[in-house]
Amino acid sequence: MKSNLSRRHVFALAFLTLLPAAAPAQSGDHPDLTGAWGIYRGGRGADPKLAAPPPTPLVLKPEYAKPYEAKRAADAEAQRRGEQLANGSVRCVPYGVPTMMSIAIYPVEIIQTPKQVTIIGEAFSEVRRVYLDRPQNKIEDVAPGYYGRSVGHWEGDTLVVDTIGIKTTVNGYRGMPHSEQMRITERFHLVAPDVLHDQITIEDPVVLEKPMTYTVAYKRMPNYEMVEFVCDNNREYVDENGVVHMKLRDH
Amino acid sequence: MPISRAFLFVLAAALAAPLAFAHHSFAMFDMDKRVTLAGTVTSFEWTNPHSYIEIDVPDDKGTVKHWSIEMGSPSILQQSGWKFSSLKKGDKTTLIISPLKNGQAGGFLYTATLPDGRVLGNGPGRQP
Repeated sequence: MKSNLSRRHVFALAFLTLLPAAAPAQSGDHPDLTGAWGIYRGGRGADPKLAAPPPTPLVLKPEYAKPYEAKRAADAEAQRRGEQLANGSVRCVPYGVPTMMSIAIYPVEIIQTPKQVTIIGEAFSEVRRVYLDRPQNKIEDVAPGYYGRSVGHWEGDTLVVDTIGIKTTVNGYRGMPHSEQMRITERFHLVAPDVLHDQITIEDPVVLEKPMTYTVAYKRMPNYEMVEFVCDNNREYVDENGVVHMKLRDH
Repeated sequence: MPISRAFLFVLAAALAAPLAFAHHSFAMFDMDKRVTLAGTVTSFEWTNPHSYIEIDVPDDKGTVKHWSIEMGSPSILQQSGWKFSSLKKGDKTTLIISPLKNGQAGGFLYTATLPDGRVLGNGPGRQP
């Protein structure tokens, strides 16, 4: 009995000794980004430092600028006629990286673990996985997709994420074209305990004259429960001229 | 007042920030126009990418015309106080909508008066 107690005692002591050493390695080293984040617009009375800074100019190489401007003009002209020209989202095709980070007013959810940060966009239930402290692959070794391959690391309080392998059909910032050489660098940083900035820099030596940067600001949404988004009742359809219409029912 | 101040604010914010439309623009609807529809719900669909109210609307002579009314998505609507159970088949409701420009019996919701008397909008910036 006596020896039993002392063995327990020793075990408890050993456990207590280990505990403080193990705990800080799990968390506390980095800001905790886990949770739901809504698009932060600032607005009246808000601290201007917390709002997203304006984007830098988008400067395309001339051979890409011309068709891009023509497409924007056609979209604007259609809007004036009271029509919308189709894009992927009208067909319920998701947005991919980086557009999924700022869809209307839909929140994103961040799940942060020591080895992986997972980002879920509520609109279209888009999912990105950022592998921490792993090397990035060569662009030519990544199968082009909507989310590509993302790796990340912490630089002090900033989570830096590198993404490559975005399909050329997945339009970027304001519908900009891009090549398979596009590289996206994001810097996630808390500018206040509950305000997060994602500074997004797009580099593309084929399409862009110079890199462009824009920032999305988010506000923490404590206790928010993400809403599912399965596109199973899409009543918009596209006619032979590429114009969007709504299907009607008679009952 | 055809366009609310809140809506203009959201519009201005959308122009300033690089936000994408979730699904489609409002080009097909006459957003400056308001039409009132009083009738009986035939179905309320709490779905993505949009929710819908299907409604039978009788005219002065009792002739019933059916309308399909588009709303925001559940995520957007819940921010205006909507729930999946806010309306059900057979409920009497009055809707204010922006009609389709092509004159067909469809539109985009502006406000709905629920059977319990509450008036709900169509997401932030689109409320009474």
